[in-house]
Amino acid sequence: MNDWPHRFETELVRLGLQPERAHRLSVETAAQAGEHAADPDHFFGPAHLYARHLVAELRVSTFEEKRAEAGRVMLRLAGVTKRYRRRTVLAGVDLTVRGGEVAAIVGANGCGKSTLLRICAGLTAPTSGTVQRIRRVGFVPQDGGTAGWLTADEHFTLFGAAAGIAPRKARSTGAHLASLLAWRPTAAQPVQELSGGTRQKLNLVLGELHGPDLLLLDEPYQGFDQGSYLDFWRQVHVWRDAGRAVVVVTHLLHELQHVDHVLDLGGAA
Amino acid sequence: MTALVVAELSAREVGRRRVAILLVISLPLWFYLVRRDLTGQSTRMLMTGIAWAVSTLTLFVVNSARGVDPRLRISGASTAGIVGGRLIAMSGFGALLAGGYFALVAIDQDIDRAWAVALLMLITALIAVPFGSLVGALLPRELEGALALFSVCAVQMLADPAGTVAKFLPFWSGREIGTYAIDGAATDLLWRGLAHGVLVWTLCTGLTLAIFARRLRLERYPEPDPEPQGIH
Repeated sequence: MNDWPHRFETELVRLGLQPERAHRLSVETAAQAGEHAADPDHFFGPAHLYARHLVAELRVSTFEEKRAEAGRVMLRLAGVTKRYRRRTVLAGVDLTVRGGEVAAIVGANGCGKSTLLRICAGLTAPTSGTVQRIRRVGFVPQDGGTAGWLTADEHFTLFGAAAGIAPRKARSTGAHLASLLAWRPTAAQPVQELSGGTRQKLNLVLGELHGPDLLLLDEPYQGFDQGSYLDFWRQVHVWRDAGRAVVVVTHLLHELQHVDHVLDLGGAA
Repeated sequence: MTALVVAELSAREVGRRRVAILLVISLPLWFYLVRRDLTGQSTRMLMTGIAWAVSTLTLFVVNSARGVDPRLRISGASTAGIVGGRLIAMSGFGALLAGGYFALVAIDQDIDRAWAVALLMLITALIAVPFGSLVGALLPRELEGALALFSVCAVQMLADPAGTVAKFLPFWSGREIGTYAIDGAATDLLWRGLAHGVLVWTLCTGLTLAIFARRLRLERYPEPDPEPQGIH
């Protein structure tokens, strides 16, 4: 028996739709395939990819109509301070980011941008202040974060396993997300043989692989060429329009017109 | 599931470092060949070579994953799954290496208790894995870690097995089992060696897991207050 509708419904729920709505969409989608006497697998493609596509479409259309309405709060920082011994890196940082918003963190080198992002990710504890954050988060570090001797596909498998995603599904999702950044991973090519820009694309895909609601990006465009850079910002806007929250550390001030919040951490600590 | 995937991919990763693997595999051979004319000496040297090779490789595997591990935790992996997977992969490699060198010794030397020699090599390789990972956890920089392993293995080689210092070294179990296997000593040496081996393995594995649990700990933040959302 074809369990495509069930997998589709499960993925819709996993991506944040209410179960009743996911069920209704699943029934409607299966009926649509039935009208064409086609197998949903062939008609719509893999269930998990079509679910992502549909959720993005639904959210974009809703947000276009109600762009003024902010989504739920995904991240809230209040009075966050970080000290390393006697050196204060961050002092009294406040930030609220809702679904469908992009926040940029700017400031001089050494002002604590990456530290703040690590605090948001939960990798570093704040010295004082409060952090409220939704559970499903994706983190893309400035560099590193990959294993040089593994291929891109193997990274998809590894990070998929961490998130409880089956290997085949993780690989197809990874390939799909890579294609959105105009990149087609080459089989059998270790990551250390990729260019710096392509490694960063892999980093981005890995941060998004498990469908997080909040994306934390630490200057993820390092090494990108002009086309990739534009693809990246286009992708940030797609995430935003799909109802996700994006926090991006950047030093490129001309991009700030495209973001909803700017948190300026000022000079070096 | 995570542990098995991590184990499989760690094994693939190590397998692709062909020159490093070749050097690691051949390292115990030089130890063995130096005293090949003496069964006891050559086997004990071989044991030290296996300990050094497997622990050093584990150290490098653990250290090279430092950038990936926090991201795997954020994606949802448990610390036990990540660290356990690497230990499984390296234990598999250690067992294969031990098996290969046991075959060499079995063919090249005249040994009465061959099964005990096999046990000696296997237990040495299996202890070397958590020991290498523990050193990697304590000394995150590769050079420092490699030098620490070198020091331990050198002291292990030179220390008097009957002395107090030797008993605090991680591979003393191999010396005891070796004496039983090669010199025909009493069974209590075998049991003493096994007990020491199990204790060291448990300590090293437990400490490795504890250190990584602390290092890869994620802050638990409360969810933001629920607010109406426009899309559902």
